[in-house]
Amino acid sequence: MRYVIIGNGVAGVTAAFTLRARDAAAEILLLSGESDYFFSRTALMYAFMDRMSLRDLEPYERHVYAEQNIRLVRDWVTNLDASRRLLTLQSGSSLAYDRLLLATGSLGDAPDWPGLDHVREGAVHFVTLQDLQRAESLARTTREAVVVGGGLIGVELVECLVYHRQKVTFLVRAPWYWPGALAREEAEIVSEHIRRHGVDLRMDEEVAEVLAAPEGRVRAVRTKSGHEYSCQLLGIAIGVSPQIAWLRGVKTPPSLGRGIQVSSSFQTSLENVWATGDCAEFSANGQSLVEQIWYSARRQGELAALAMLGHQVRYDLPIFYNSAKFFEIEYTATGEISPSLPGAQTFFCRLPGREASVRITERAGSIIGVNMLGARWDHSIFERWIAEQRDMDYAISHLAEAQFDVEFGRVDLASVSGAYREWRARSAGTGSPS
Amino acid sequence: MVRKGKSAWLLHDLTHRGPTAWLLTALLVAFYLLLYFTHFFTPVAHSLGLSSKWTLYGLLYTLAILAGGVHVLRKYRHNRYQVVRTSVVMFVQVVFAFSIPEILQFFHQPEYYFSYFWPLKFDDLNPSVVFHLPLFYALYSFLGALLLAPFLGVVFGKRWYCSWVCGCGGLANTAGDGLRHLTSKSSRAWKFEKISIHAVLAVSVLLTALLFVSYGLGSRAPALARFTYNFQTVYAFLVVATLSGVVGAGLYPLGGTRIWCRNFCPMAAVLGLVQKLGRFRITVKPNMCISCGLCSKYCEMGIDVRAYAQANQSFTRASCVGCGLCAEVCPRGVLRLENARSHAPQRASLVQIAPLASAASPSPGRPR
Ligand SMILES: Cc1cc2nc3c(=O)[nH]c(=O)nc-3n(C[C@H](O)[C@H](O)[C@H](O)COP(=O)(O)OP(=O)(O)OC[C@H]3O[C@@H](n4cnc5c(N)ncnc54)[C@H](O)[C@@H]3O)c2cc1C
Ligand code: SF4
Repeated sequence: MRYVIIGNGVAGVTAAFTLRARDAAAEILLLSGESDYFFSRTALMYAFMDRMSLRDLEPYERHVYAEQNIRLVRDWVTNLDASRRLLTLQSGSSLAYDRLLLATGSLGDAPDWPGLDHVREGAVHFVTLQDLQRAESLARTTREAVVVGGGLIGVELVECLVYHRQKVTFLVRAPWYWPGALAREEAEIVSEHIRRHGVDLRMDEEVAEVLAAPEGRVRAVRTKSGHEYSCQLLGIAIGVSPQIAWLRGVKTPPSLGRGIQVSSSFQTSLENVWATGDCAEFSANGQSLVEQIWYSARRQGELAALAMLGHQVRYDLPIFYNSAKFFEIEYTATGEISPSLPGAQTFFCRLPGREASVRITERAGSIIGVNMLGARWDHSIFERWIAEQRDMDYAISHLAEAQFDVEFGRVDLASVSGAYREWRARSAGTGSPS
Repeated sequence: MVRKGKSAWLLHDLTHRGPTAWLLTALLVAFYLLLYFTHFFTPVAHSLGLSSKWTLYGLLYTLAILAGGVHVLRKYRHNRYQVVRTSVVMFVQVVFAFSIPEILQFFHQPEYYFSYFWPLKFDDLNPSVVFHLPLFYALYSFLGALLLAPFLGVVFGKRWYCSWVCGCGGLANTAGDGLRHLTSKSSRAWKFEKISIHAVLAVSVLLTALLFVSYGLGSRAPALARFTYNFQTVYAFLVVATLSGVVGAGLYPLGGTRIWCRNFCPMAAVLGLVQKLGRFRITVKPNMCISCGLCSKYCEMGIDVRAYAQANQSFTRASCVGCGLCAEVCPRGVLRLENARSHAPQRASLVQIAPLASAASPSPGRPR
């Protein structure tokens, strides 16, 4: 049996190891056009900031693949013919498979800003190794940079450019930083912190036009509010989308939507072809869902491999969690964390003396989400509370269990319980807690 | 990518085995060769009013730890574990490793180092030394090496010594902080370490045993006495001067800060064995690691921490000195040092595969 996996990202590699763990005899091929070896995309910023070499980004020593008898192929796949179970590679050779896994990940979204098509140099995404190389070569000749997009990749790119002593303007379309996950008060903590690092963070700013110098290098960005920000590097971090464009032109394209459409057992519309990780699109209760984080890619890679091995697999959406770091502020989220959830009530408090906060959301007597800034927490404890439908009183009185700060460095929870009692009293007084 | 600017380039070159690093290595090695094998520094010490070249060395060493310590305290000021640990290591160096021995000598007491123990301080259990010490010091030597150090190792792990008290660790964790990432993380380096460190331990135990036997037999066994003397001379030359001095500290800019501690220190070997049986471990927060590798990169003992973290595996490694830097640099707060009861393994698995029951149920037949 020959398993071929397109994409050596975390989803593809986890799938390969899982296949090997359960099938010692199978032939396993792992393909990628981007890199010879699996590397940690999440650590791109540390390579940019001189904290790691590219080699350091590789999570497994190179001899592991040989030991696991996984064949690595560096090439782009350009054609897929499912009727003959055949792939064509950019190098011209073709490759037969018995079972195929598509784990092609995502690419940075390209915006349609006027003027961008005149820019021949200076605009970068921050998703692939090639993006990193471009950003690095540009950084040498950049004094001022503009980064557009108020998500996690955006702030990472900003941090890198600040490290390289550039004057960075960070343009965010929303009224406050990352409204999908942060409440206004949380965003204030984060924004203040980002500004303290010398970043000119601008909210409510949308790009109207990109201006290029005659020789093609980006020169400035004009926003809808009429401001013009001069820059020699324009970081585009407005989102990522599944890397599926190449599949539209192949002999037998699988059914595509936002991503590669799969069943809850990772099967695509093509026989013997599965898809997993960032590139896979599920539909759950009529809603389309593309998960684009490391943790889901890893879990999905493992489960897709089991499905390919013939196990019955059902991918049920687990309780969401994620983590991030905004310069020095660490962030942990579990469950439903959107700041505006209908029918929910939210307790929020800042921890005194540090850039940290606690936000717990409850609906119908059970907590549904926990959003923590600035201290370390064990999300798996929150997951358990949410699954066990614990109420807010329970969560507050057991918070210490979930603390994961360093020794001697635990945040003081007395202030949290104090704030919580006040909040309870206030909400009992008004009858409807805010 | 290296920052723009000459000073940034220089810093990078120094910390990434560039020409500057080689130059500094040459200077350090020359310094240690002159110190251990010549009298070059004796007149220098005397001209400064110090009693010997070793006092001069102690002074320089202490200053390096203080200066490096101040830098480290600033750098990690947000991390209470680092602040407490670094303060303790600076305090111990100034008080126990430098001042007290000097003060003792002033009062015509033996020059005794309360912060070092056998087998690191080999003479502590050398009968011809220890039996001639006043009772208090002799007792401290025996009890410290055979009871106190291992006991604390069981309770707190090796770290109570290697990254809180010991001067070798003290220098590594203060002045050497910027070079900590140079330690090799390869599994080959791990294999080498396991052999070399236990070999040195075996040799030092053997030599101590010989010293006792030869001391007991006295003039009845002149051949043994001569052999033991030669053995001791070779040990002092190879292990103490060469491995702990010239190689251990001299090669900082090329091989990282813990070459001695990781590969050769017999005290670290003992404490490592104790640690494996004891309570210390690094707890991994499940499913939170993003495999970025910062923890491995900045591990001065060359432990591939990421291998454990990405497999969701809490662990105890004999070599871990509990400096806590992996937990400090981890951008996702995955790691925590703990004195926990439950035991953790040494080997990392490649991936942690969910038990089939929870994720999927086996079905015979082919899919679809
Ligand atoms: C800068 C950055 C920071 C991030 N930080 C975090 C974080 O902190 N936490 C988090 O949870 N997530 C983070 N993510 C998201 C996370 O990295 C992704 O969700 C994850 O890497 C997806 O893994 P994957 O295996 O699905 O795809 P990928 O890692 O994208 O791998 C897919 C591979 O397939 C290759 N490929 C695609 N098409 C072809 C083809 N036709 N032929 C050959 N090869 C092909 C691609 O080149 C790529 O190498 C971050 C992403 C970025 C870009
Ligand atoms: S530093 Fe943290 S996130 Fe990065 S590899 Fe280590 S444990 Fe994982």
